Amino acid sequence: MSASISSALPPSVAQQNGNGSRPQRTAVLRAEAPKPRDVEELCEKFAPVCESAVHPLQIAGALEFDGWSDQAVRKRYGVSDVFALAEEMYRRVPRRPAEPAPQPDPWQVSKWRPALHGLLYGAPTVCFAAAAGLLVGRGVLSVMIVALLSSWALSQALAYLGYVRLGQGVPVQARRVLLAGLGAGLVGVLVAMDLVSVAVPVYKPVFIFGLGLGSYMLGATVLLVLGAERLLLAALAPGIVGATVFLLLGRPESLEHVAWAVLATTPLLALGLAVAQTSRGAELRRNKVKRPGSKPTRLVTAADLRAALPSAGWGLVAGGLLVFPVAVEMPGHGGVNTGALLASLPLALSMGAAEWMLVWFRRHTQRLLRKTSKLRVFALQTRLMLIAALLQYLAATLLLTAAVTAIATYSGLVQPHWSAVPQVAAYMALGCSMFVSLLLQGFQSRIFPLAACAAALALEIAYRDLWVLGQILVCTALLAVLTGYAAYVLGSAARHAC
Amino acid sequence: MITEGTYPHQFGGVSVWCDQIIRGMPGYEFQLVALVATGAEPVVWDLPESVGSTVEIALWGTPPTGPRSGRHSGFPSRLVRRLIESVLDTSAGAQNRFGEVMRQLFDYAQQGNLSAALASGKAVKLLTEAWQDRWPNTAETRPTVQDAVTAMQLVEHCLRPLSHPPVQADVVHVATNGLGVLPALTAKWRHGTPIIVSEHGIYLREQYLHSPKLPYRWPVKTFYLGFLRQLCALAYREAETITPCNIYNRRWEERLGADPSRIRTVYNGVDPANFPLFEDEPEVPTISWAGRIDPIKDLETLLQAFGIVHQELPQARLRLFGSPPKGRESYLERCKALAAELGISEAVAWEGHTSKVRDAYHAGSVVALSSVSEGFPYSLIEAMTCGRTCVATDVGGCTEAVGDTGLVVPPGSPARFAEACLTLLRDDDLRHRLAAAARARALEFFTIDGAIGRFDEIYSFLAAGQALPVAPTEPDGEDLPVDRPEDQPEDQPEDQRDGALPIEAAV
Repeated sequence: MSASISSALPPSVAQQNGNGSRPQRTAVLRAEAPKPRDVEELCEKFAPVCESAVHPLQIAGALEFDGWSDQAVRKRYGVSDVFALAEEMYRRVPRRPAEPAPQPDPWQVSKWRPALHGLLYGAPTVCFAAAAGLLVGRGVLSVMIVALLSSWALSQALAYLGYVRLGQGVPVQARRVLLAGLGAGLVGVLVAMDLVSVAVPVYKPVFIFGLGLGSYMLGATVLLVLGAERLLLAALAPGIVGATVFLLLGRPESLEHVAWAVLATTPLLALGLAVAQTSRGAELRRNKVKRPGSKPTRLVTAADLRAALPSAGWGLVAGGLLVFPVAVEMPGHGGVNTGALLASLPLALSMGAAEWMLVWFRRHTQRLLRKTSKLRVFALQTRLMLIAALLQYLAATLLLTAAVTAIATYSGLVQPHWSAVPQVAAYMALGCSMFVSLLLQGFQSRIFPLAACAAALALEIAYRDLWVLGQILVCTALLAVLTGYAAYVLGSAARHAC
Repeated sequence: MITEGTYPHQFGGVSVWCDQIIRGMPGYEFQLVALVATGAEPVVWDLPESVGSTVEIALWGTPPTGPRSGRHSGFPSRLVRRLIESVLDTSAGAQNRFGEVMRQLFDYAQQGNLSAALASGKAVKLLTEAWQDRWPNTAETRPTVQDAVTAMQLVEHCLRPLSHPPVQADVVHVATNGLGVLPALTAKWRHGTPIIVSEHGIYLREQYLHSPKLPYRWPVKTFYLGFLRQLCALAYREAETITPCNIYNRRWEERLGADPSRIRTVYNGVDPANFPLFEDEPEVPTISWAGRIDPIKDLETLLQAFGIVHQELPQARLRLFGSPPKGRESYLERCKALAAELGISEAVAWEGHTSKVRDAYHAGSVVALSSVSEGFPYSLIEAMTCGRTCVATDVGGCTEAVGDTGLVVPPGSPARFAEACLTLLRDDDLRHRLAAAARARALEFFTIDGAIGRFDEIYSFLAAGQALPVAPTEPDGEDLPVDRPEDQPEDQPEDQRDGALPIEAAV
């Protein structure tokens, strides 16, 4: 309130009014600011209020807040009451509302965070390569696919539930949901893998590796939702360092067991840290509050779980699309194709670039919202920004692919050949589709990307005989459909409400 | 009973009042409808047995979806356009149209998804079009796309109560005007339930005063506050009875279209058992104050006034009971700095929060309240019940509370405040006489039993479908002696108020 007592008393005014010989009295008297003589002076005093008033009643409220009563204004200004005076002031002072102070930008993120995320997503690939010796024998394909897909689906759902709770501003609840979800997720992965091992005979170490993979995914999800990237990095460090050293040494057979033991520390650490983070400070026993007539609040309701379903589905489908090329290239049960695995590495790394571009898009559309007053202009420019974001993501992913290929070639892991280009192209189209899907999800559109990706996966499986050609065709079509939909949906300003 | 952001999730004056009413009338079964922000807020009050159910309506968080298959499946374009027009239009005719639109929106919300409709791109488009048509002036304040989105979003959140099933009750009592009247209106439209709207501060006035802090541009504020103004006015028109907690509130209510014959002032009350008569006084002349340490209480004026008192009566003390709200401690620091600057730090005691507020009244020869805005402050009527005379500022219901049993001065005037304090501190006889009168006045007009008795009467009349008898004790204090001081400009001689208060000459 500009007209409040405190701000109406600048110290300089007090100095002018005071009597220098009696300092105490000076300070005391400073509140007796002279009362405006006429309405004109009053308007000046109340200018900030009058200029931004939305209705005469707002000025009346401010006058009363300043201590003016009906009798006082009648006596001093000869108007019938405060309301009449306010109307007069509203008429006299033209509207010149002050712009609100700029709001803190909710999309202000550290430049390093998306890069760190990309690293965190990509780094585990090295562990796969190091564990290739492990991943041989019967049931490898089935176990790996089931472990990956189940943990992906469950961790996506878990992340959704965690973020929803965080968004409600109850971090304690969020931690409790994450802890409970972590336990449930582990059970889920275990059950899924047990079912597989009933159907196909499974080599024990493969089973354990799959379980480790699932644990890591869930633990990492919890840590990422809580913003504990550094802890996740700490959990990853032994596995990555061990795997890299092992690979650089040329995978000596004598060190295989040591390497696997080192790899095992990563999921164990991720799980341990996730549990520690979620139980820290969380009051696990709730105070029950008596609330007659209403159900006690549950940790997770059926409605919450239903809402998390599209996320779980998307995890499953996206995982399927990413794994499919690796899986089809595994003839029989011969083992994991390191080359195909490394081809998916840039895609994992590019998710960091995707996060960065999502933020870029948000910040630019928010700025546009504040600048434009025509819906048509907004829609057009937003669509252009969508294309720009997509192209920037694509460029970043191409760069990452080139870098990874160069490093892998240099260290002798792969011998690149022009025949790999179609595979890379398919991955590019897939990466762009994932990017647009994530963008849509950020704008509360979860069903359409899920349905489109599911249809694409079904097509890839149906036309698996077409190999890479099928993947290129399907992923390009998917990208086109998703981009078209995004352009349609995001052109509406209402979607950009935050 | 319907509350908004208060009982039973928050502490504060309105919550105390709700609790008193419900506990005081165990013969009625109460259903609580609480408008809350997200629904994650914990219940902090122990609910009495007579509360049969509590329904929480969350204004934020996941929006209500409405029934899956409704008759209204399309976008209610005409309805949303009329809503926008009735909010933007400030003429008298728009008020009635707003009422009709609300009722139609309620019908729609009961069958379709109103939240989705209001948050949709089509609604945003309608608002931008309406703005384009009638935007009055320069490009500077021209609404942006962001403004349209924000404005529609705010109204969508506000109107969420329309999507909930109406309560079934004999009477709906809304604790404050504002969004809480929406559930009441739905009950009236569906079941014909009579509505009582109580009011402590004036809801709309508080929204206006708060609006400079809103982070929105002017077009959004105009739309949002225009919506709230229409809603408050609608509540005054639709309510069977309006029960402000002071006569002063009537001015705003009548201004917004309330029928004066439906207004029944029901003063807040205290339980005399909790505030016994204090026969003894502190040994040195002491001014005490109790409350939340907040700029609205204008402690600066009190401290400056005490500076004058202290010069005249060096042995005088000022004791302040209360603490600042969390996160807003800076005001306390400012006040302490002012006390140091005035050289009165030694004589001022910051007592902090006290669990027994009556100790604060016991501590003073005189109880002071220097606020710039009040509804009907408990601290005055509590002090009066304890047998203490008060010096208060002429804001809200203070004058009505104190009447002729204390001194009321214009707000923000340390010299006048100090004069009043000195008058009372110096004249033992006058102070004791006024203290006795204060207790008598409080016991006569401001007891909890009195407040509950009036509500009991209103409830039973309305529940029986009868109109209330013509108010016997309304306007301007026929049975409630009120001494309203006037603003005294410095260029005029002593004011010429009529009235026969013995302390007239001294003020």
